[in-house]
Parts: sequence; C-alpha cells; structure tokens
Amino acid sequence: MSLLTDSPVHSSSSDDFAAFLDAELNSNSSASSPVEEDGDDEDESNDEEAEDDNELEGKSVKRCKVEMSANIHEHGSTSHTTLEHKIGKDKSLKIDICTHPGSFGDMCILCGQRLEEESGVTFGYIHKGLRLANDEIVRLRNTDMKNLLRHKKLYLVLDLDHTLLNSTLLAHLTPEEEEYLKSQTDSLQDGSRVNLFKLDFIHMMTKLRPFVHTFLKEASEMFDMYIYTMGDRPYALEMARLLDPNKEYFHAKVISRDDGTQRHQKGLDVVLGQESAVLILDDTENAWTKHKDNLILMERYHYFKSSCRQFGYNCKSLLELGKDENEPGGALASVLKALKQVHSMFFDELGGDLAGRDVRQVLKVVRKEVLKGCKIVFSRVFPTRYQAADHHLWKMAEQLGATCNTELDPSVTHVISTDVGTEKSRWAVKEKKFLVNPQWIEAVNFLWRKLPEENYPVKPTKEE
Amino acid sequence: MFFHIVLERNMQLHPRHFGRNLREHLVSKLMKDVEGTCSGRHGFVVAITGVDSIGKGLIRDGTGFVTFPVKYQCVVFRPFKGEILEAVVTMVNKMGFFAEAGPVQIFVSNHLIPDDMEFQSGDMPNYTTSDGSVKIQKDSEVRLKIIGTRVDATEIFCIGTIKDDFLGVINDPTAV
Repeated sequence: MSLLTDSPVHSSSSDDFAAFLDAELNSNSSASSPVEEDGDDEDESNDEEAEDDNELEGKSVKRCKVEMSANIHEHGSTSHTTLEHKIGKDKSLKIDICTHPGSFGDMCILCGQRLEEESGVTFGYIHKGLRLANDEIVRLRNTDMKNLLRHKKLYLVLDLDHTLLNSTLLAHLTPEEEEYLKSQTDSLQDGSRVNLFKLDFIHMMTKLRPFVHTFLKEASEMFDMYIYTMGDRPYALEMARLLDPNKEYFHAKVISRDDGTQRHQKGLDVVLGQESAVLILDDTENAWTKHKDNLILMERYHYFKSSCRQFGYNCKSLLELGKDENEPGGALASVLKALKQVHSMFFDELGGDLAGRDVRQVLKVVRKEVLKGCKIVFSRVFPTRYQAADHHLWKMAEQLGATCNTELDPSVTHVISTDVGTEKSRWAVKEKKFLVNPQWIEAVNFLWRKLPEENYPVKPTKEE
Repeated sequence: MFFHIVLERNMQLHPRHFGRNLREHLVSKLMKDVEGTCSGRHGFVVAITGVDSIGKGLIRDGTGFVTFPVKYQCVVFRPFKGEILEAVVTMVNKMGFFAEAGPVQIFVSNHLIPDDMEFQSGDMPNYTTSDGSVKIQKDSEVRLKIIGTRVDATEIFCIGTIKDDFLGVINDPTAV
C-alpha cells in the first residue's frame, strides 16, 4: 500500500523497486526459466529508454502488477489471519475439550478452568486440594514405573500399628506398666535408644518394633515406600516422624484413614504405583480384600497390654513379660530377608521384559520355597464335615509350597495335630515323623522359614 | 499484583477499651483482624498502611459492644490469570511441583513443564533437562505464568505454567 502512495513522488526508484518485485514474483512463481528472465530484462531496458507512452503503459502494467502483487500479498495475509483464526478456534476447542486430568483447589491442572463437579481420586496426602482423574493416575503410574524400574526399585506399602510399631493411649496403661515405663524412659532421656516414645500432646505411648530402623534403611534401597494406616492423619504424620526423623523415606507418602476411598478398607487406588509392582506389609488381611496377592501378612506386634486386649487375646504382652522381640530373628528381619529374595528374583532371575513382570507372581514363587518338599497331614484341626481344602491352614500350607493330604502314606513328613491321642498322631510318633501343633504353620507363614519342629510340640490333652 | 486500596470495615470493640487509647486499640485490633486474611474480591491483605477515618460508634443493645465503621488503606496482593509471578518451589513430585508466592499456593502440573524436563526421583526429587543444565527442586525460585486462580477465605490457589518463553528457574539453590 505504501508502495502505491510513494510511487508518484519518487517514480523512478519506486519503478525500480516495482520491477525488482516483479522479477522476484516471476522468479518465484515460474520456477525461474531463463527465457522469461531475459524478457524481464528487456522490459527493464524499455523502461529506462523513457518513451512517454511506453512508460505510461509500462507504468500502468507495473501498477497492475504491483496491485496484483499487493492483492496477492493481502490475500496471503488474509489467508494467514484466517489460519490464525482457525488456530485460535482450535485452541478454544482444545480448552473446551480439555480432559481435566486433575484438579488443584477445584481448578483444572491443565487449563486452569474452574471445575464444578468433583471427580477422580483425592490425593490429600500429597497436597491439600489435589485430585486426579483415573486416566491421569494410569499415565502417572506408567511413567513412574519406568523410572522406578530403572532404579531397580519396587513399591512397598507399610502398615503402622502392630506392623512397625505398637501404640497405646496413656489412659489405657495399667499402673504397673506405667511404673515400668517410667523407669525405662527416665533412665534414657528421650527414649530413642529403647524406641519408646511418650507423646503427651496426642496422649499416646508408642513403642517401635525392634529392628525397624534397619528394616527401613535396607528396604528403602529396594523399594519406594509408603505408609498406609487406619489411624487418622495427625497420628500417621507423628508416627512417620518417629520412624523417619530426617524425612528420607516417607516424604509426602503417608496415607491415612482420611485419604482412603472406601471405609474400613485399604486400597491401592490412592497409591501411585502399578499393582504389579506393589508389595504390602500389614497385619490385617481383611483390610486388603482386593489386593491379597500383594500382601505379606505380618505377625502382630503386641507390646502393650491394651493392644492384646483389643484383639481379645488373653496372653501376656511383651511389656508384661519384660522382654521384646529379638532383633535378628524377629518378624521384621525375616520379612526383610523375604523381601530381598523377591527383589533379587524380580530383577535378576526373571527373564523377559521388565515391564511385563509381576511381583505378585514372584511373591508366590518365593513363598512356595518355604515348605518345599513337605507333605502335611492334618489331624483334628478342621471341624468334622468341613471341606478340608477350604480351611485357611490348608491353603496356607499349600501357598507355602507344602503338599497337603488327607490320608497317611509313607511320604508324609509332617502331621499337624491338636491332640496326641489321634490315630494319625500316634502313627507319626511311631513312624518318627514330625508331629507339630497348628501354630507351627502359622509361625512359618510369618517368619518365611521352616522352623524347628521341636518348639511346637503337641501337648497331651487333660483327660490323658 | 499488588494494589494500594481503601477498604471499609465495621469493627466491634469491647467497652473496656473505651478511654483515651480507644483509637490505638481500634487500629491494633483492625491489624490483627485484617492482616493476613483473604477476600475473593481483593485478595490477600498484606499490610494496613493507614487509617483514613473512624466513623461514629454505635452501641449494640444488650452487650455494650460498640461498632465503628473504619476506613483504612491497605496493600493487597491478588494474582490474576495471565500474570507472571516469581515463586519458591515447596514440593516436587511426579505430578508436577508446588510453589509459593507469599500466601499463594501454586501448582504447576507436569503437563505444563517443558517436555525436555524430566522427573528424577530420589531424596531430592527434581525436574531436570536432559543435559542437566536446568534443575527445579525444592527451594528453587521459578518464574511462572498464572493460568487459573481461586481465592478462598484464607487461602489462594493458583494453577501455573512454565511452558512458555522466558519462564522457568531464575536461580539455582545448589549453585549458591
């Protein structure tokens, strides 16, 4: 446009420029054939000869051409703007169809739009007001999985109460217990040596399970660890502080009752890890109905009397007995050994694609090694007319790799009995087979190794 | 963005403060009540800079409390959509990172972090470019663009992005 207004004033220069433009346009449009270029040159020389009519004609031609080029230019620009419009529309469309992968404070984390309805799963344990949609969780799990496998790690979900520690309300302590604990905690200023903590502000007394610090340290090298407890949030955070004072293990990975999606149930839906790579350590099987294959059941840790009573046990608590689980042979140490085995099998022994491996299968295999080669017969363990194969001890024995039988034969290695007087028990004594009580199989299940059978004798019943 | 504005508020004062220090009591109560609070319209009240006028007190029936209409000047902070803010990173995880600019909590999703930055887990989780030259971790300072805001009674939430020109880390805490 400015070209046109300028042309009358500095006609020659503008003409030159117009010519230049023409040449440019021609060369651009018609693949610069030499013949046409020659023609253009001739045109230019005509211009310079300055015959009025010719010049006028030439000018008008040029004008036309310039106008045309301007038109082309304009056209180009308009097409450009329409393109921009299109892009703009696409963008707005994109915003409209934003999938809203999650929200923070009720705003979409991708487009920033306010979301009216709440959807997806809350991740309050990571940050207040954070929610993620299912697709996003799947996506995060997949990317995280790759990352984790590269570091040769799996996930481990840990329960608190009765698994890693035992807590009791101060009000539930018996006077003798209080007396004893006072002497314990007074002698050691902060109680960290005996792993006993008095938390006045939540009116609690907490005892960490022996070996727990070593356990966490070694497990953290193989696992990305979460805490998942049925306790409330302040309690969970306080316990995490005791277990992990430097916040190395459980940073923003403490899940409490308030974060679960189902009442009285724990679920892996709030854990950002693929189920095929998660192991769970818990003392309550019923909390994990959907994830039994991931679960490693723990022997309950009862240090305080109130915790025994809570489960209806009449036995003496460890505190009353004045002792504690021993460190190298305790439940945590045994489980750590099993975890190491699972970990090394998962990464080193299994062939094939890393992503296709399933830790649940590995867990099953490792478990099957424990009582491999044992052939077990039960006697007076199951109620009469009960389908023996449905009993939990039968299933447990099979999961541990033993073969179960209902009838005696020479290949039987163990007879599990509640009574020495039964035919099978007597047979076992006569044939010098192991005769053990049912606690043996449960203990084996908790400690992941075959235990000395002599420690689990079948006691004669009172009538005899 | 910060604004210096005049606001008005009805203050209730206990009769025991009536005396020659009434004005001081009123102002200190005003500061206590207002500073650090949020309103959806004005944002976060940073500080009261002056009291313009205190109107006539009205005695409440039955209690003896007196209500004064008070006009005061204050500095408020309110983030806007499209605004560029500088913030300190408070938490980094696989979903993205959280940052704070004063009272404002900002979340930057990993969708809105440049694609060449990748999440690295560990005891100091971070987002790092493939050549390792740029790293976002806890306590990093970042410049980000606000794409969504929500102001609550006590908190301000924002969604931010660093997927744009001239956004991202502006200092590196490990370099110091």
